Amino acid sequence: MNDMRQFERDVKMTNTKITARSVNVHYGDTHAIKDVDVDIADKTVTAFIGPSGCGKSTFLRCLNRMNDTIDICRVTGLINLDGKDINHKSVDPVQLRAQVGMVFQKPNPFPKSIYDNIAYGPRIHGLARSKADLDVIVEKSLRRGAIWEEVKDRLDQPGTGLSGGQQQRLCIARAVATEPEVLLMDEPCSALDPIATAQVEELIDELRQEYSVVIVTHSMQQAARVSQKTAFFHLGHLVEFNDTDQIFTNPQDSRTESYITGKIG
Amino acid sequence: MSDKHIVSAFDRDLEDIQSAMLTMGELVQAALTDAAQALKTSDSAMAEKIRKGDRLIDGLDQTVKTETAKLLALRSPTAGDLRTVLSVMEISSHLERCGDYAKNISKRTIAMAESDEIEGSLSALVRMTAFVVEMITDALDAYVKRDLTKAKEIIERDVEADQIYNTLFRSLLTHMMEDPRKIAVGMHLHFIAKNIERVGDHATGIAEQSIYLITGEMPDDERPKLDSSSLGLVESDD
Repeated sequence: MNDMRQFERDVKMTNTKITARSVNVHYGDTHAIKDVDVDIADKTVTAFIGPSGCGKSTFLRCLNRMNDTIDICRVTGLINLDGKDINHKSVDPVQLRAQVGMVFQKPNPFPKSIYDNIAYGPRIHGLARSKADLDVIVEKSLRRGAIWEEVKDRLDQPGTGLSGGQQQRLCIARAVATEPEVLLMDEPCSALDPIATAQVEELIDELRQEYSVVIVTHSMQQAARVSQKTAFFHLGHLVEFNDTDQIFTNPQDSRTESYITGKIG
Repeated sequence: MSDKHIVSAFDRDLEDIQSAMLTMGELVQAALTDAAQALKTSDSAMAEKIRKGDRLIDGLDQTVKTETAKLLALRSPTAGDLRTVLSVMEISSHLERCGDYAKNISKRTIAMAESDEIEGSLSALVRMTAFVVEMITDALDAYVKRDLTKAKEIIERDVEADQIYNTLFRSLLTHMMEDPRKIAVGMHLHFIAKNIERVGDHATGIAEQSIYLITGEMPDDERPKLDSSSLGLVESDD
């Protein structure tokens, strides 16, 4: 079967969005990330795979400084977004997180209406000057989240009343409402059924046209399905980073081979 | 680092399709060797046995195809596992074709049982068969041992099989031109020679699959072709 998806959505992915050099992360005495260098391309889905505790989520959280919220966590090294150091003291982490949005494992809509879930970010970041502006942003975001048709008649109802898959797409819509450039996803489908998973995967592929998407996933098949680049982490090291088809047909490192073929856990 | 999968049934499935394929390999080698022997001794009974025996090879090919389809659907193999499954499917197809050639040689053996030999051709065909059967043996050996050097060497060897075929082709042509009564048997013998030559190509195909399995890439450079048999009349179709 041809991979029609890649055929249809062939977008230029040569521009580097994020550059990481010699990134190390310590949690107290634990050395969680060891000297990671990676270039994450724009308009590309990059998947991070690896066994539990390999550091893939920790590294993902470095990309929008989510680790700042953990007291014992220390991040060193250089992470540039569009050539600018995101850890520089002049960078406001709240602004950064509007630029680098995040979607979590468990759908976590605010206990507010569907409308307010989306409107919250644009409001605090001052992206809308009027109610009409906000309406436009809400609709656009819900459309990008591929959930508009399902919720357009009940925007005033609580977001928590939606199904798990809908909640997750609502969270993705919320993340894109602040016009981010990068979207980080930490196991976005692990709490969803296969149909909802397929919908989110289709959405991820659509989002790739506008954003750089980085996804952490335990499902290797999901990484294979949605990403163009795959990074394999093991014991805090970035073992191999290459085109996804290369990683899944002919990995160069024996540890990658062992992991993706199910020989090490 | 372990070579075994955490899910041990995965290992068993992979072993099963590979051993079915290797059993096919043994049957095919025996069928070809016996077919050449039956041809040499005009043994119609033996030829008939080989002709019927091809069903077993075809059945194993079907088993391999069904089991690989199941394995792909249920286990989603990747990397080396995926290459194993893909190469087993391909090699099994190559072997199945070789089985068909042994069957075809046997059919022709039965058809020419009462005819006179064209001088020297039968022993040449037996030698040629031994040569290509050894190519299959070595190609499967290279597969089992993941021996890249050996696999590459087999591809080179096919030139020699082509040469033997070309020589035989010329000799048969000369005989047929000299004595038109020999055309019927000459045509049969020529088809047999062509069949055996094709077995060499399939052995090359098996070696190429072994290279793909080991390196992850198909050898891209075309092997040197030595086909001067055509005398400007026919083009080689491989």
